[in-house]
Amino acid sequence: MVTAAVAVTLLAGCGAGSAAPETSGSSSAGGASGDTLVVYTNSNGEGRGEWLTKKAAEAGFKIEIVGAGGADATNKLIAEKNNPIADVAFGLNNMYFAQVKAADAIEAYKPAWADEVDASLADSDDEKAYWPLVKQAIMLGYNSDRITSEQAPKDWTDLWSKDEFRTRYERVTGLGTATAQLVFAGILSRYRDDSGDLGISDEGWKQVEQYFQNGSPAVAKTDLFARIASGEVDMGQMPSSIVAEREKSFKVSVETVLPSVGVPLAVEQVALVKGTDKKEQAQKFIDWFGSADVQGEWAQQFNSMPVNKGAAAKAKPEVVEFFDGLKQQDIDWNFVQQNMGAWVEKIELEYMT
Amino acid sequence: MSGTSAKSMLRSPFVIIVGTVLTWFIAAFLVWPNANVLIETFFPGGNFSGRAAEKLFSSQRAMKSLGNSFLLAVALSITVNVVGIFIVLVTHYFRIRGSRILFLGYATTFIYGGIVLAAGYKFIYGEKGIVTAFLLNVFPGMEPGWFSGFFAVLAVMTFATTTNHMLFVANALKGVDYQTIEAARNLGASTWTILRRIVLPMLKPTLFAVTILSFLTGLGALSAPQVLGGRDFQTITPMILTFTNSPTSRDLAALLAVILGVATILMLAVMSRLEKGGTYFSVSKVSSALQKQKIANPAANVAVHAAAYLLFAVYTLPVVLIVLFSFADGAAIQTGHLSLDSLTMDNYVRVLTQPSGLRPFVISVVYSAVAAVIAVGGLLFVARILQKHKNWVTAMFEYLLHIPWILPSALLALGLIISYDHPNPLVGGAVLTGTTVILLIAFVTVKIPFTLRMLKASFASVNSSLEEAAAIMGAKTLYVFRRILLPLVLPAAAAIAALNFNSMLDDYDTAIFLAHPLVQPLGLVIKANTDGAEGVDGVSNTFVYTVLLMVITGLTMYLVYGRSGGRGRSKGRKPLAAPGTVAATVSPSPARTG
Repeated sequence: MVTAAVAVTLLAGCGAGSAAPETSGSSSAGGASGDTLVVYTNSNGEGRGEWLTKKAAEAGFKIEIVGAGGADATNKLIAEKNNPIADVAFGLNNMYFAQVKAADAIEAYKPAWADEVDASLADSDDEKAYWPLVKQAIMLGYNSDRITSEQAPKDWTDLWSKDEFRTRYERVTGLGTATAQLVFAGILSRYRDDSGDLGISDEGWKQVEQYFQNGSPAVAKTDLFARIASGEVDMGQMPSSIVAEREKSFKVSVETVLPSVGVPLAVEQVALVKGTDKKEQAQKFIDWFGSADVQGEWAQQFNSMPVNKGAAAKAKPEVVEFFDGLKQQDIDWNFVQQNMGAWVEKIELEYMT
Repeated sequence: MSGTSAKSMLRSPFVIIVGTVLTWFIAAFLVWPNANVLIETFFPGGNFSGRAAEKLFSSQRAMKSLGNSFLLAVALSITVNVVGIFIVLVTHYFRIRGSRILFLGYATTFIYGGIVLAAGYKFIYGEKGIVTAFLLNVFPGMEPGWFSGFFAVLAVMTFATTTNHMLFVANALKGVDYQTIEAARNLGASTWTILRRIVLPMLKPTLFAVTILSFLTGLGALSAPQVLGGRDFQTITPMILTFTNSPTSRDLAALLAVILGVATILMLAVMSRLEKGGTYFSVSKVSSALQKQKIANPAANVAVHAAAYLLFAVYTLPVVLIVLFSFADGAAIQTGHLSLDSLTMDNYVRVLTQPSGLRPFVISVVYSAVAAVIAVGGLLFVARILQKHKNWVTAMFEYLLHIPWILPSALLALGLIISYDHPNPLVGGAVLTGTTVILLIAFVTVKIPFTLRMLKASFASVNSSLEEAAAIMGAKTLYVFRRILLPLVLPAAAAIAALNFNSMLDDYDTAIFLAHPLVQPLGLVIKANTDGAEGVDGVSNTFVYTVLLMVITGLTMYLVYGRSGGRGRSKGRKPLAAPGTVAATVSPSPARTG
């Protein structure tokens, strides 16, 4: 038995030994990560993380990407504020970064490319702590093989107010994702009423109630496009960037609705983590990453819509065209940020079924 | 096994050393971090906020989901025992044709679980499933969506969680004295009477322990209700997870978690009470190993065989389909259409040729192995003391060690961060965040309650007369522990370590908050490659990772448990040896396998 314990420890030791050199090699400079910049992001999937690590190395930055969902990355940044591990964070949208900033976990910094972006998309304070990189539109998409553009809904509210759509749209079963939160930000903002519950009129909450009383609940691990392909539903929420690729994978055609009030835009941002011991290096990295060249290549590679005006020229023409024809919904983000937590709670507790 | 007073217990140096280490560990890693996170949650800004209770109790959805979770927990405690005891008897007690094959089928739950398991069942019984298609041919009027709601969730979770029965109840069954059974039969007792009056009572401590685990599994159900629950049967866990992630609603998450935690602790107290005072080891002077029983009644024999093979099919079909689907593209998986010519190696090539390569696998294997060994190694001493000395001090320690069952792992992780992001005297003035140690600590603590329950149950079935004999002959405490007790509980300990190891391999909830940025375990890589928003490849990657994990966990189970279990099962090799020796001979050291 003792031999068992010893041998298991040895086995563990061997494993640890084999992993250790790689670790100690990069941490010899001291601190948790030596001269490696630790970058938190929720935008590392589909090869983005690997692509960025490689490009950064070519530009002389040694980075380590730590991927996490938007909410997880936000909570992690806030929890670690007393002894930060990350140096830079990017990819989180303005709602998430507003929370991180309120917890005092990021630091104001003006990147070299600050003049090349629309500052109204950045942190709304004068001392801006986060800066915009990529625009993403939150759309209502429908199966255009089954529904013509004349028959299609004209706005989100048609989904539950018109009989023909009531059972044909996919509704969310949780408000944990950024996309779902933005859809509700877009709907509730229209019913702002300072005397109403959480700043929203009764009429607004009635819309939410209707949304959940109708619709077909989303199915875990089954993509909306898979359900559209099999005919279970015809429409649902989607971020603009995924449409082209999923249409191909699931062999469906999807068109998006352009409501007269416009569509909500999620803007992915970048920020310097407060208290990093590699501040200068981190700032240089932000200057490099947000530059027109790098954002242009990123847009080319991942079909995104860059905020940097110089980068837009390099983005895919169809993406640029799509955003040119898009009316942005006028949303008071300060109002949304202050209330989103309470809205999510109310919706989860009272309206979801 | 009689209770000893707290005072007399403290005369043993063994107890004092273990007690000191334990007190420090509990204070530093169980009480302090979790107290911090709960205080921050319930007393924001120093004032108590009762808002959480008010909000929750007025929410219809929260109350209904909570009720569903409890319903599932109670139902599962019963159904898992029924199915679990049946498959243990079929593989280990009755003489059934092909019992080794059956064992392999039932053992599939050792190696996979979670969302993919639920998806596997959906491929078979869901609206477009194979069995549904067949049934629709036979009964054209049938509702294609029949497999959904409470019944479907309960069925899937029952078949998915018999792992503990297969490992621990089967192990306890081996300790049942065959001579007692023979004596009963000679006195004219029927198969059923022997089972009910002799065999099952001996299994009680283990059955109590696995019942608590089933209850807990039901309370924490997440993926099966999400996939199969439909509109009417959703549970509370998804809501807890959403609220944990939202700083302004975290008090609701904590309150819900505490409600579930208190229910678990109550269950624990009830089970401890039921367990008290029984004798769960063989009292005969010369006990002998179990021999398989023939079912005398031919009709019953046929029925049991039929049921056993039907269950075998239920257990194995999802695994076969998951492996097949892991070679299909993501669209095929999600629409449920499988055509044999569309199966390719593409998914495996994509997953295995990522730049990070095998590194995350190695990191996770090392972390999980070290954590599993520390948890089981350390708690062997603790479980022994808690089992031997029963007084208010040990009772208190025992309840404290169950703290990790109360809070969701994300909150445990946040507690560790806010407690150790600055030099803290509890850990010698060190800062733990940003180190590789903090994740190890979290892994060990999360596994403590399960490890303790199962170890305590296996100590309970050790015949105390062996130990007394050794003590009378002058053996020291440690010697008795090492030479008499350890060999007896080692099969169970190895199985616990293996299960702990398997369950930590793909951990995400803890690692996401605590992993060192340069030493990222597999769970984070899996998440990055499988999240819903990651395109169609995400779903096929989920299946590939599941199959890869099945390979690793299957290998672990085979190395640590399978070989010895198989040999010990096939025939009682030394029919006349004392139970201790039998257990010792069937338990090769797990070390040899490494």
